[in-house]
Amino acid sequence: MRVLVLEDEPVLREMLARRLRESGLVVDTAADGVEGEYAGREFPIDVAVVDLGLPGKSGLEVIRAWRAAGGSFPILVLTARDRWQEKVEALQAGADDYVTKPFQFEEVHARLQALLRRAGGWSQPVLRSGPVELDPRSQQVRVADKPVELTAFEYRLLEYLMLHAGQVVSKSELTDKLYEQDYDRDSNVIEVFVGRLRRKLDPDGLLQPIETLRGRGYRMTRE
Amino acid sequence: MAARAPSLVLRLVIALATVSVLLTGVAAVALDALYRGLAFEARREVLDAQVIALIATAELGDSGALAPTAIAEPRLASPGSGLIAEIRDGAGGRTWRSPSMAGAGARLEARPAAGQRIYEPLTLPDGSRFIALSLGVRWETGGSPPATYVFSAAESLEPYYAELARVRAWLAAGAVVMMLLLVVGLTMALRAGLRPLARLERQIREMEEGRRELLDPDWPRELAGVTGNLNALVEGERGRLARYRSTLGNLAHSLKTPIAALKGLIDGGGLTPLSARPELDRMQSIVDHQLRRAVLGGTGSSVASAELKPPLEQLAEALAKVYRGKRVDCELVVPAGLAYPIEAGDLMELAGNLLDNAHKYGRRRVRVSARPLEGPGWRRPGVLLDVEDDGPGIAASERLKVLERGVRADETLPGQGIGLSAARDVVVAYGGTIEIGDSALGGARVRVRLPGR
Repeated sequence: MRVLVLEDEPVLREMLARRLRESGLVVDTAADGVEGEYAGREFPIDVAVVDLGLPGKSGLEVIRAWRAAGGSFPILVLTARDRWQEKVEALQAGADDYVTKPFQFEEVHARLQALLRRAGGWSQPVLRSGPVELDPRSQQVRVADKPVELTAFEYRLLEYLMLHAGQVVSKSELTDKLYEQDYDRDSNVIEVFVGRLRRKLDPDGLLQPIETLRGRGYRMTRE
Repeated sequence: MAARAPSLVLRLVIALATVSVLLTGVAAVALDALYRGLAFEARREVLDAQVIALIATAELGDSGALAPTAIAEPRLASPGSGLIAEIRDGAGGRTWRSPSMAGAGARLEARPAAGQRIYEPLTLPDGSRFIALSLGVRWETGGSPPATYVFSAAESLEPYYAELARVRAWLAAGAVVMMLLLVVGLTMALRAGLRPLARLERQIREMEEGRRELLDPDWPRELAGVTGNLNALVEGERGRLARYRSTLGNLAHSLKTPIAALKGLIDGGGLTPLSARPELDRMQSIVDHQLRRAVLGGTGSSVASAELKPPLEQLAEALAKVYRGKRVDCELVVPAGLAYPIEAGDLMELAGNLLDNAHKYGRRRVRVSARPLEGPGWRRPGVLLDVEDDGPGIAASERLKVLERGVRADETLPGQGIGLSAARDVVVAYGGTIEIGDSALGGARVRVRLPGR
């Protein structure tokens, strides 16, 4: 999952970026409206966190520009002045939710998770695909009610596939969304990780939760 | 510095003086004409009488010439008396002339037919002006056919002109005196009439210098609007200033406790992220509360009436987005056209907090209803706003505390209600009331009453 953090306050921006990375997201950052609007249009992001009071171009303008250009990813707004008028304006401009400053990171994280879930068509907080259960809040994975230990990268991979359950996800999409920048474009790495994930989720090869569509990518079965 | 506009007194005096000069002029001309008309009338009567007297006493003399037998009027007898008379026959030959015509050189030429009167002006060689009447008379002479004679009399106009000059001099002098009196009187009257303006200026200066709180309440009707509005403005500003002051005071005062607590933690070596958190939260809630109060918009008479439905719809739409995962059914029962004088941001703040809470704690349903509220002595109705949900509701014992949250810095309630105290701040600023009850939907009902005027 790739998130864009658009915040001009350096301490806050770095804190958000660090904690979001720790929680398994790929993070892009921008410090002003102009740069941020560009990043939102050009990077393959899944969700954006936008501070409303930005230099260069206000958060509202950035959101409107993204929506006008056809960007459909969910947007979480950060606002310092907790006036309802401002919140309503932001929501009308195209934002999907808001968090009032000062906030606790957990709140931002929970809202982001909810937005990502909803964008993937999930209405329950716990994602389910057959016997596989993933709870983004605790980052726990269970198969047939038995907990499964995953590495951070494996977890990220599974989360992405489950959030897009029922859809075909290509290897290059996975590289884009799971790695920072152009870190490693070798799609063999993805194949290796998918293989490891399969063994951990389905050691006996009976469930087959992840389909391989030759030449196109992978698909997580939905229910 | 901008050029000073002419004073009101000067403007009015100039305008009124111009009008009165014109009026006085017209009056003088009219009086003059009237006097002349009357004087001419009087002279015609005198001439008529003289001519009639001549006819009455005229007889044909031995020479065959017509002449009066006696002259009753002494002025006809003395030369230079200003009254002359003569009788001419049909051919224009003089048959008689009054002794007063001697040496005057007057020539009367009019030839009226029998029974006809001709008045004519006449100027004598010495320059004196006369008015003359000539009357044609058919005279019966025994035997011979009747002949037409002309009886004429003329009177000098010089005494009249002398008198006219005197009258005109008096009229002119009268007009000038009247003008002077008018200008002086007007100036004094205006000064007296505009004195309240000078008083207003003085009182405003006193307010500026801090020696006066408000303008006096007693002003002439023409100024009462201005002074009333000025007082309202000053009071509004003063109220705002007082609110800022109390906000600052409260803020400073209530921040002292958590600051002291933090200092204590530092001094005691017990400062950890965990121990600092409650104090920071408390400071946050204090700052939030005071900030909300400070940004509340105007609640004076200056706020325009705003329709309630559109902003409530916007809010419901925005919240539907935020609570999309929950699929809350939000029902708006607000009549179109229902309006209340509340600043748009304040209405958003009030309704936003209430609706957000309802969405948060409700399970499936939220209902917002508004209707006009009548009250004693209100010419404009107030508004009653209900926000209901089907959530767990708020326990009766918690209801007051929930609304008071953040008001008292030493009190922190967990869970619900930050929004409710924010809504309460708005309601209080508009002089309304807010109460929590039970909803027919099964959850809480927050009822807001905003007063009318």
